Amino acid sequence: MSAEFFCIGLSHKTAPVGVREKLAVPDEQQVEVLKRLESTGEVMVVSTCNRMELFGASADERAREAVLEAIASLGGAEAVRHVYEHHGDAALVHLFRVAASLDSMVVGEPQILGQVKEAFELAHKTGTVKGELIRACQAAFSSAKRVRAETGVGRAATSMASAAVELAAKVFGQLAQRPVLLVGAGEMSELVARHLLTAGATQIAITNRTQAHAQQLAELVGATTRPWESLAEHLVWADLVVCSVATPQPLFTRAGVGTALKGRKHRPLFMVDLAVPRAVEPTVAQLSNVYSYDVDDIQRVVAENAAARAAEAAKAEVIVTEEVARFLRARAVREGVPVLAQLRQRAEQIVRSEVEKTLTHMGDELSDKQKKSIEAMAHAIVNKLLHQPTAKLRALSTEDDKALAGAAAELFGLPLGETAGEEH
Amino acid sequence: MSHALLSLACHAYGLAAVFYLVYLVRQWRLLTVAARALVASGLVLHGVALGMDLTQQGGVPQGLGQGLSAVALLLLAIFVGLDLRYRTPVLGAFLTPLALTVLVPGVLISGGASPLSAAVLRPLLPVHITIALLGIAAFAVASGIAVMYLLMERQMKGKKFGLLFARLPSLDFMDDLNRRLVVAGFILLSITLVTGSFLSNHADGVFWQWRPTEVATLIAWLVFGAVLGARMLSGWQGRRVAWVTMAGFGLLLVSLVTSYPQMRMVP
Repeated sequence: MSAEFFCIGLSHKTAPVGVREKLAVPDEQQVEVLKRLESTGEVMVVSTCNRMELFGASADERAREAVLEAIASLGGAEAVRHVYEHHGDAALVHLFRVAASLDSMVVGEPQILGQVKEAFELAHKTGTVKGELIRACQAAFSSAKRVRAETGVGRAATSMASAAVELAAKVFGQLAQRPVLLVGAGEMSELVARHLLTAGATQIAITNRTQAHAQQLAELVGATTRPWESLAEHLVWADLVVCSVATPQPLFTRAGVGTALKGRKHRPLFMVDLAVPRAVEPTVAQLSNVYSYDVDDIQRVVAENAAARAAEAAKAEVIVTEEVARFLRARAVREGVPVLAQLRQRAEQIVRSEVEKTLTHMGDELSDKQKKSIEAMAHAIVNKLLHQPTAKLRALSTEDDKALAGAAAELFGLPLGETAGEEH
Repeated sequence: MSHALLSLACHAYGLAAVFYLVYLVRQWRLLTVAARALVASGLVLHGVALGMDLTQQGGVPQGLGQGLSAVALLLLAIFVGLDLRYRTPVLGAFLTPLALTVLVPGVLISGGASPLSAAVLRPLLPVHITIALLGIAAFAVASGIAVMYLLMERQMKGKKFGLLFARLPSLDFMDDLNRRLVVAGFILLSITLVTGSFLSNHADGVFWQWRPTEVATLIAWLVFGAVLGARMLSGWQGRRVAWVTMAGFGLLLVSLVTSYPQMRMVP
């Protein structure tokens, strides 16, 4: 039996951050995992802050169990509960989609391709990827490049968090040296932080009523924390403020922001309020050099982008499907049926050249309809003749009986052992 | 000959302006490549035409027509520099039309400029004029960018995003560009005032005569000085600076226009 692809793992779609962080293991530990699984077939580990997945190609039935054991040994039984599996073509599709950033938390974010490449390199160095997975990865990388070149996926924000960051970039340009304050340490703050990091932000501070939560998130995303009590002072420091904490009374009043503006010498301030009820008083937006957006404003931006983005994502999915199909075609030719493919190709050539010869001989004596009939007859004869050999050869590719294929190649004068000129 | 070259340059700029404006709607990279090439070749033709006239006149630009033409040339040269440095072709959609509105009247009223009297023809005059025109060009670019800033700011504030929103650079980038251009323009303007008063002294024996051009330049100088001061001391920026930049540029245009009849009156 030939090797089958698999993908076993978990991601932001199935596992909460508490589980994911246990599985975010350093390279050395990944190498250990790879070596442990080596005996069951090819394998590589893709580990980012949003996913931990093992991609492999194996003919060994024990591979699945071994991978699950490996995941359990790193993340405990809890981790295994969040695991999903793809096998066969579905695993390939998943690999291609991950590389093309279609499975990312922020669809279209550019880092994932590099991360998958690093995972591949590590496995390659360790020696746990061989023919099948190498070819699959290379095809996935080139399909990801095609997606990036041919679609606008990732160009317009589709989430509130990314829309907020995108708008901030319209005010500030580069976010690299911009002080950013995240008010709240919940899921939304995490998302915003991730988008900010992707956009290149380096100075992110988190403030939260419960300091411990702020600390936790800060460690996760590599930010600092600021005390909740001196919120007003932070407003002098930060250029971008994103609130995701619902409070009965607004945290930022017009008067408060006005005072802060004086302190910051009227440097522009961009405030995004994702909380309901609102944490930023609506009248704050009237202050000059302050750009204040609430949930509705941001949601409107997202809705406008979503339509355009959906079309791009659909295009990207089509590309991925095409590329997977192309890979599978090439694989089929390479693996099981080179003789068959060559035989077909040869027959096709003969039909074409003979029909052409005849038609040029007869020239104008024939009507179009008659020409078509001659062509159809030639095809029919060849197909009838080849029907039996084709069926036999197709069956043998699963029986692993190479002798008959060799005989066929000999009889029809085909070069044995080469692929039939399909793409690699 | 030089007039034909100038007219050719005008057409190149005009076509470039069209390309840049189309680029606002359709983001085809080829448009910017073509527009950039057109502006560059326009600048070469324009420069040759201006150079030919200047050598004939002993190196001194004459008449309002040539002054405007030189401002347009310098304005576009600054734009090309910015575009090469920051890769912001969108500036072209604002600056090429602006250059044309300066240049076209210049071409139409060129010729017929009365020759300057020998009294003011001395090495300081070409320097004075060149620096003055370069300063005006810097403020012209700053004004063009101020317009872009105000358009962008209005969309950002009003939360209504049109086509321009996606195309224009960030507010911070435009504000920073404004600051640099105003600083450069202010320095050039200061030198203009000093050299101008020396020239006045040489021609009429008085450093300062309260002529309209002097007054307009002085007010513009004070305005821009105040803007820079306010920027440094109390963090003025953004919309207010954009408006003041445009007003200051208007004053400088007045100064430019009024400076020519006056120069011809020099005995």
